[in-house]
Amino acid sequence: MAKILDKQRYKCAMSAMQTVQAIDRAIPILHSGPGCAQKLSSSSGSSGYFSPNIYPCTSINEKDVVFGGVKKLESTIRHSLDVIDADLYVVLTGCIPEIVGDNTEEVVEGFKDAKKPVIYASTAGFKGNNYKGHEEVIDSIVDQLLEPSDIRVKNLVNIWADVPYQNEFWHGNFRELERLIEKLGLVPNIIFGYNKGLSNVKKIPAAQFNLLISPWVGLNNMKKMEQKLKIPYLHYPTLPIGAFETSKFLRTVGRYAGVPEEKVEAIIEEQEAYYYYYIERYADLFLETRVMSKQFTVVSDAHYALGITKFLVNDLGLYPAKQFVVDDTPKGNQEAVSSYFKDLNYGIEAEVSFETDGYKIHNEIKAHDYHGYPLILGGYWEKEVAKQTNAHFLNVSWPVNERLIMNSYYVGYDGGLKLIEDIYSVAKTRFN
Amino acid sequence: MGEIRQIAIYGKGGIGKSTTTQNLTAGLVELGKKVMVVGCDPKADSTRLLLGGLAQKTVLDTLREEGDGVKLERILKEGFGGTRCVESGGPEPGVGCAGRGIITAIGLLENLGAYTEDLDYVFYDVLGDVVCGGFAMPMREGKAKEIYIVASGEMMALYAANNIAKGVKRFAKTGGVRLGGIICNSRNVDREMDLLRAFSKELGTKLLYYVPRDNIVQHAEINRKTVIEYRPDSKQAGEYRSLAEAVMENKDYTIPTPMEQERLEEILLEFGLMNIGDDYKI
Repeated sequence: MAKILDKQRYKCAMSAMQTVQAIDRAIPILHSGPGCAQKLSSSSGSSGYFSPNIYPCTSINEKDVVFGGVKKLESTIRHSLDVIDADLYVVLTGCIPEIVGDNTEEVVEGFKDAKKPVIYASTAGFKGNNYKGHEEVIDSIVDQLLEPSDIRVKNLVNIWADVPYQNEFWHGNFRELERLIEKLGLVPNIIFGYNKGLSNVKKIPAAQFNLLISPWVGLNNMKKMEQKLKIPYLHYPTLPIGAFETSKFLRTVGRYAGVPEEKVEAIIEEQEAYYYYYIERYADLFLETRVMSKQFTVVSDAHYALGITKFLVNDLGLYPAKQFVVDDTPKGNQEAVSSYFKDLNYGIEAEVSFETDGYKIHNEIKAHDYHGYPLILGGYWEKEVAKQTNAHFLNVSWPVNERLIMNSYYVGYDGGLKLIEDIYSVAKTRFN
Repeated sequence: MGEIRQIAIYGKGGIGKSTTTQNLTAGLVELGKKVMVVGCDPKADSTRLLLGGLAQKTVLDTLREEGDGVKLERILKEGFGGTRCVESGGPEPGVGCAGRGIITAIGLLENLGAYTEDLDYVFYDVLGDVVCGGFAMPMREGKAKEIYIVASGEMMALYAANNIAKGVKRFAKTGGVRLGGIICNSRNVDREMDLLRAFSKELGTKLLYYVPRDNIVQHAEINRKTVIEYRPDSKQAGEYRSLAEAVMENKDYTIPTPMEQERLEEILLEFGLMNIGDDYKI
């Protein structure tokens, strides 16, 4: 029985066009009916190189369904190569051609001698949401663009974390992860964001290892790269926010990469001294802001929900009410993701619900006794339930409607301070 | 003028649906009925015997080559005894979606006004099995209300017929579609008539007509004619005339009761089909 999904938290797999866009000078070519890119119309931050949501598209119609849309796809790719100056063309297939059974692979294969690389990813909406679509695009890059390398560049690390645009802090988070990895003396390689692009994509096979910072999104990609490119991976499920997790993160990565322990500890000491200087200076504010309940709820994808929950418990000393993971985590990953939420300091465990229905989530929030004004971090949809429960509300996850995030971030020591700033900026409004 | 009787003929691939439909049509035409035959098969061979060859362009070919401004006279050809013949056609084998093609073609026929009031019968000759929604189109949305399944005493033909009955049952719930009966296109299998009767009964319908096997059908086909046109005085022509009368007079329409696999095989066992042995002859 079909159900209505109240308050959607993601888009369909074809929104992986955002993953393509996040690679500098890469362009999606859509093999779909007209309007599939329109689902990006409410997002921002992707203009400049090309339009934010207008791409070459086969705009297939009934006739193409009956006779197949491959001819139109061929001409659309050919013309895109002629008129759009890009470094990488990624054909994304929508529901219609996938149901009809268009042989996209064969058409794309015909462009193997084109002046620029053309690849394709199967992103039919019925395959799942844009988290899955993101994985499909990365898999396609690995499958169709990369070959195993004989050369291993010492200390070169590919970093995989946020899903671009879906995780609104992706720009800043990647930059800060890059900076942290550099501090360890390693050489980070990221394909998304400022000053990266195809040259970084091509560096992937030469890396010493892949570093995946995400509870489940990307795991399949890591396995694929391990198999095809013989690159081992380190899976660090928690997005490190604040001192506790970031120090743990640096130790884990340092140990894996063979960075001398003294070096890692020296970095941590320096960073923590800086971090706690600020915590101390504002400790009175945290202590005196008794108006905010110690209990909090995060409504987000597993990536942010886990990172933020750990930060709020381990660094800020708050207590988790139920946490809601709304990314439609595959059943096979749910047990592992739940277990990460149980690994909190002070023997605290957070209960997690893999619920995607906003109505049910809000009912649970309303029914829970937070012993005061709750703290709710979530998507824009939680603004409503926050109002009903007199909560302090911070919009951290998609959809983000009333704030602009350009290059700020929650990752690392500085990121933790930034999240505190954001939370207490809300809490302080209570006095005004 | 009464309502047009819209009839869809289904059955296993190769069972003789097109042959039966066209000969049946010829029988109706002889009785003064106005008939349109809509071939719903990308092979576009459903009207060959009525037209004396693969004569006309299919709806979908016309649509592909001439765009949306298709004219009815380009796709509707008159065949034996004034029969109106249309072939929906379809994509090249292995590309596109033939099911959607059927939907598009029937939709276009409606828009072009092919269903005129003077028609007594419209036959849809649908390929093989009801493999997807597109091939169920003739029984959806109030088109064909009567379904006949062509079968023989061969096991696979009965499997297919049972499966088609499942489709009919599905659409019977929401639309007015009903099963009119089974038409046996004989393969001279042992106890074929008994088997088909038992099978039909179990399916909640009846064996409408038993068309015996006769090589004259092949001869007529080679000559691109229905038997009625090729040898009007032959015994087989008489059989098809009788079939036409059976269809005309048929008033038993049922919602079929398709069988579970086990029950179907039980019936086949009962009639000796599961151990065919040496006495199996065609």
